Amino acid sequence: MDKAVATLDKGTTCSSWNYCGQRLATGSTDGTLSIFDSPDPSSSSFTCNLKTKVHAGAILKVVWVPPEFGDAVACICSDGSLLLWEEIVEDAQPLQWKLCKSFESTSTQVLDVQFGVSSTSLKLVAAYSDGHVKVYELLDPLILKNWQLQASCISASISWNPQKGENQGSSFVLGFNSDTPQLNSSKVWEFDEAHNRWLPVAELALPEDRSDEVYAVAWALNIGRPYEVIAVATQKGIAIWHVGANPELDGRLSVEKVALLSGHGGEVWQMEWDMSGTTLATTGSDGMVRLWQSNLNGVWDEQAAFQPTA
Amino acid sequence: MSGENQGGAIVPYSEEAKKPVVYPLRHGLKPPISRLGISWSRGNSLRVTVFRQPSEDSENEVGGKAVEVRLDGRDGEISDAQWRRIAYGSVSPFALLQSRKNSFASLSKISSTTSPFDAEWWEYVLEYSKDISSLLGNQTSTTQSLIEDPKEVLKDPEPSNLKAAWELMESFYADKLSQAWLPERLVDWLADYDSLFSSTQETVHSKLVDFQKDLVSLQVIEDEPKYWEVMSSALAVGWLDIVVKLLRLHGSYQLDQLGNRETENGLVEAVAVLISKMPRMRPELEAGKLGECFKAKPDFMKAWEKWRAQIAKLECSTFWIQCAHRQTQEGLRNMLQIMLGNTNNLCTLTCHWMELYIAHFLYIRPFTVGLESMYGLAQKCIQLKPMAASHRLMGLLIGILGENIEVVLAECSKGFGPWMVTHAIEVLTAGSHQADTLLHEERDNLGGISMEELHRLVYAQVLSSHPLTWQIAPIYLTSCIKQGMGLLEMLLYKQPVDHNQLLLKNLEICRLYELDSVSSNIMKIAGMYNWKHGKKGSGVYWLQQARDEARLNRIAQQMFDSVGRSISDENFRQWEGLIQLLGSEPKTAGGLEFLHNYRDFKKSLLQIRDGKTTDAARQAVESLISLMKNPCTPQRFWLPLLHDSLKLLNWEERPLLNVLQTNLLLNKLQELSIARLRPDFIEADLPPHALSSVRLALATNLGRTTLEEQ
Repeated sequence: MDKAVATLDKGTTCSSWNYCGQRLATGSTDGTLSIFDSPDPSSSSFTCNLKTKVHAGAILKVVWVPPEFGDAVACICSDGSLLLWEEIVEDAQPLQWKLCKSFESTSTQVLDVQFGVSSTSLKLVAAYSDGHVKVYELLDPLILKNWQLQASCISASISWNPQKGENQGSSFVLGFNSDTPQLNSSKVWEFDEAHNRWLPVAELALPEDRSDEVYAVAWALNIGRPYEVIAVATQKGIAIWHVGANPELDGRLSVEKVALLSGHGGEVWQMEWDMSGTTLATTGSDGMVRLWQSNLNGVWDEQAAFQPTA
Repeated sequence: MSGENQGGAIVPYSEEAKKPVVYPLRHGLKPPISRLGISWSRGNSLRVTVFRQPSEDSENEVGGKAVEVRLDGRDGEISDAQWRRIAYGSVSPFALLQSRKNSFASLSKISSTTSPFDAEWWEYVLEYSKDISSLLGNQTSTTQSLIEDPKEVLKDPEPSNLKAAWELMESFYADKLSQAWLPERLVDWLADYDSLFSSTQETVHSKLVDFQKDLVSLQVIEDEPKYWEVMSSALAVGWLDIVVKLLRLHGSYQLDQLGNRETENGLVEAVAVLISKMPRMRPELEAGKLGECFKAKPDFMKAWEKWRAQIAKLECSTFWIQCAHRQTQEGLRNMLQIMLGNTNNLCTLTCHWMELYIAHFLYIRPFTVGLESMYGLAQKCIQLKPMAASHRLMGLLIGILGENIEVVLAECSKGFGPWMVTHAIEVLTAGSHQADTLLHEERDNLGGISMEELHRLVYAQVLSSHPLTWQIAPIYLTSCIKQGMGLLEMLLYKQPVDHNQLLLKNLEICRLYELDSVSSNIMKIAGMYNWKHGKKGSGVYWLQQARDEARLNRIAQQMFDSVGRSISDENFRQWEGLIQLLGSEPKTAGGLEFLHNYRDFKKSLLQIRDGKTTDAARQAVESLISLMKNPCTPQRFWLPLLHDSLKLLNWEERPLLNVLQTNLLLNKLQELSIARLRPDFIEADLPPHALSSVRLALATNLGRTTLEEQ
């Protein structure tokens, strides 16, 4: 049973729901950021309560900041800049959305940005078009203005390990879609507390697939499995990887490719895992939404597909 | 989703890989569609954002739609409200059974003599089963009319598929008493639920329903061929009371006919009596039902032989020749054939294999015992009457008879959804060792959990998909030993915090299940939400509950920003309130103690503004001096404090500070001037002449006090 819950304005190109699915942020070609809300949690109808022009050019992607840091959205713009807007009551002014930080970028384009939360800080990983990855850390948990560059590593799909609790915010997977073959393969990065730096601890590609461009990556929530599940989409299809939780002697994690799904035939746009980390929803250039699950014998298969029809 | 998705919830089961079903996703937008976005919201709800190609035509202002798809795959048989009623009602029986199971487990650890499969346990399982079953009946008021309509042969009970399925499983797995007479149990079952099959094919029930409509208008009922056909069919499936009732509608019973249709009537009555005396291999019959019950096989066999002999005798009787009415003769003899177990007749008169199956139990093989022979017979009946359209109940029964637990689970899941599987597993594992082993085995490829746990997790996710049922998911999740807590944490984390009721409910659940870290995280989010939305007091409150030292420290730091600045009354009150809330925690003792003192000082300064007497002014001076003397006061605040107190220092009436006090302050100023030369000194945000104004005021004050004291 399907029902429309929100209607978007003309020119909208990207959207993102917040952590509890109660607010929708959309970005459009004319640089307008729109926020949709619903009157109460059990209602399923969302109306636009805010429209604000955040940029002269188009907005390519919107990503919500984790709720432990307020209601805020990061916008990746067509000119390569990254803007952070937040909803706040400041001084004596009423509640409004304001620009709190602008990460200017003249020469390179921000391709993707994702937020990782740990108990003490908020980290932002931004992947740039020149192959650089920057990790920023928020200095003051109350104010989203001050970010410090924590690391800039080479290696534009990012997915943080969504684990809550002690292991929060300590690892993410990153894959590039570029014409530089060495950059492309997806790697899992972990923060090394002892040396205060980020290190690659696993590579999610078979030797012959290392130069494949990565369309998307997604890290499934682990509710108690002894291994992590990460999906990586390339032109060869969607690969499901099992990553061991404990490092081996050389400090790297064991990986096993357990499935290669046929995917969407062309480009994969987006992959999302459900709340138990067992069902993977994907969309791609074939215009379909597909759902994937593993059966009782551990074999991955497509369970259902949705075809948008008028 | 389209209607052919019959309860097909997204649950993996080990059948061979089948082609995925493609569902339409209706969005109502004009093509072309440029992109799709996806996001999982509560539980199993998937939100798909459909973007239109931004085009030049201005007539259509809609750029896209966000569509929510529910993947719990419930069919339309049960309304949302009814489903919620069932979901809520199942919680107590389930929880009770789990706690009983746990106490049994702990008991059996202590003493190895108590086996978990003893008599008491069966009672509990049956109680559980009955509790669940009572939830599943449709809400029909059984209105018994005072005057029973003689022509009404069928009541209209409106059963549900869920209840039918549940009763099947209860009979085979939970109800130890009915195990001894399973075939008769199935006869009763079909009587209750045959109507459910009418949706896909003709059934005896549907034949009766149709006939009942015609009954009103029929004059001479015994002339109607349908009358005899319907009676024979009902007889074939053992609905004896209906048959006898219909027989008694025969025209020969009418008072004015009795005279010249004696023989005919005699024959009709004889058949009716034979029917009502049919021996049944079962302990008892419901009121109003016909037949004679026998518990022991030898007694039954004797009665059976006798009964069959009586039928055979009637069959050969000479009275048939004397029976004038042809249809009556043929019809009655047909019915006798049925009672004698004539396979051809039975086959013709029943509509689907289950009815034929029941007929076999009644008239051909009443001694059938054991699942294996029951299964063999079922196969035979399916061969004689192949299924045109499969029905989920039929599939379930075959799985049960074939003792194939995997098929039973698959049918439950496919046909009835995650609720059924989760709750039926309790009954299955109690009644079948095979089920117990299969469902409790820990599987590596599921991440180390058992199938029982997997199904509970899936069901919990279904519950999480609805804002009105998510609160009962925790009860199922806590019975999942390996992954339940992980999923529960995720479920709680994803609830919004902006509505107070929901927030408190969420925290209550955390408290109940001792999920302290989840609880503090949620409180942290609530704190930040309130803080950023201007409700600073609530924000601080929640952050304190969450023990979020990092943010509270930052807030305390922010409080310092107000020192030395002139702020409006309202802001001061808010600031004052926050200082109060922040309290004097031991960790931030130094800083906050100063803030408390500063607050008192500021308050007294404000009182002066209100035009109070010099006493207030003197008090303010005392505060100032104590603040300046206090080692807790950070040096960077000395100038702001003095700057704040300028009007005290420039008091017109008389100098407020004595020589000692003035000298103290001048010394502090001197210290400050030296300290400012250090590179790491933080300048206060004051006007440039602040320092000189204070120095001037102090000097003037010194002069005046010296003069006074002389």
